[in-house]
Amino acid sequence: MSVRVALVTGGTKGIGREISRALSLKGMRVYMNFSGDLQAAEAARQELNAEIVRADVSDQEQVNAMISDIIKKEDRLDILVNNAGIIRDGLLMLMPAQNWHRVIEVNLNSVYYCSKAALRPMVANRWGRIINIISPSALMGRAGQTNYAASKGGVLSFTRSLAREVARYGITVNAVSPGVIETELTSTMEEKVRQEFISKIPAGRFGTPEEVARAVSFLLSDGAGYITGEYLSVDGGLT
Amino acid sequence: MEKDALVEELKALIIKNLKLEDMTPPDIDAAAPLFGGGLGLDSIDALELVVGLEKTYGIRIPDEDVGKEAFASVNALADYVLKNKN
Repeated sequence: MSVRVALVTGGTKGIGREISRALSLKGMRVYMNFSGDLQAAEAARQELNAEIVRADVSDQEQVNAMISDIIKKEDRLDILVNNAGIIRDGLLMLMPAQNWHRVIEVNLNSVYYCSKAALRPMVANRWGRIINIISPSALMGRAGQTNYAASKGGVLSFTRSLAREVARYGITVNAVSPGVIETELTSTMEEKVRQEFISKIPAGRFGTPEEVARAVSFLLSDGAGYITGEYLSVDGGLT
Repeated sequence: MEKDALVEELKALIIKNLKLEDMTPPDIDAAAPLFGGGLGLDSIDALELVVGLEKTYGIRIPDEDVGKEAFASVNALADYVLKNKN
């Protein structure tokens, strides 16, 4: 069998980077999407033995160009991990419209653009895996995250519906919901805030990006071919 | 209205609207941050204040950027009210 080709959006940093690493270690040909930070992307490319591809995933034209380039080069695309996401937290009553729209564009619209562009080669090959990274906010809600929770809740419903559309073609569509994970973002957290978060997590600690990558790897495996339209929480019991 | 008087009025309004029943106006430091500081208020309490200020002074706090400026302290809030009230 030929080497599988994977695209990880937001794949050069944080959780995305660990997912890229896990797939690369499995011998897959990994394309790591990034949008802004070329320096981090270059570093990831060298370290992880994977390709980097630049595109703003909230822009359909850029997404289409990125994915058709990959398909031209590789003649296939087997795996898509929709990981890119942003937060613009704030209480709804005071939320500027641009913070609502930007979060929906980057977190939800991107999943439509990327999945749509990636599906054709998967259908043609009768094999494919799409993993969407969601959040406990989608499952239980979180004050200050109406925009983020709506985007991730939208992605979860998208996951369930697309799973039903493409199951016949050997394509599975699932979601992974990481809880609070140690990344650059959480490393800047104040100790007080950190302890407050930890007190709500039954496992008593934050998760690691590797633990999220493990769950993603499992859902991408051949053995998980009968699991579709599901979400898997990696959150230490939070939800 | 003079600012000093407004500061005292705002302290009373904060205590009343946010039901800080065990506090009196002198307990509130006019220079200290209103939220995330010593008063034990969180950002969700700000919504109560937003509608209270609108009702009392006719001032509007449209978004979080303005909110951050206005709620930096009671002094900052007084300045904001003086500048914007009808």
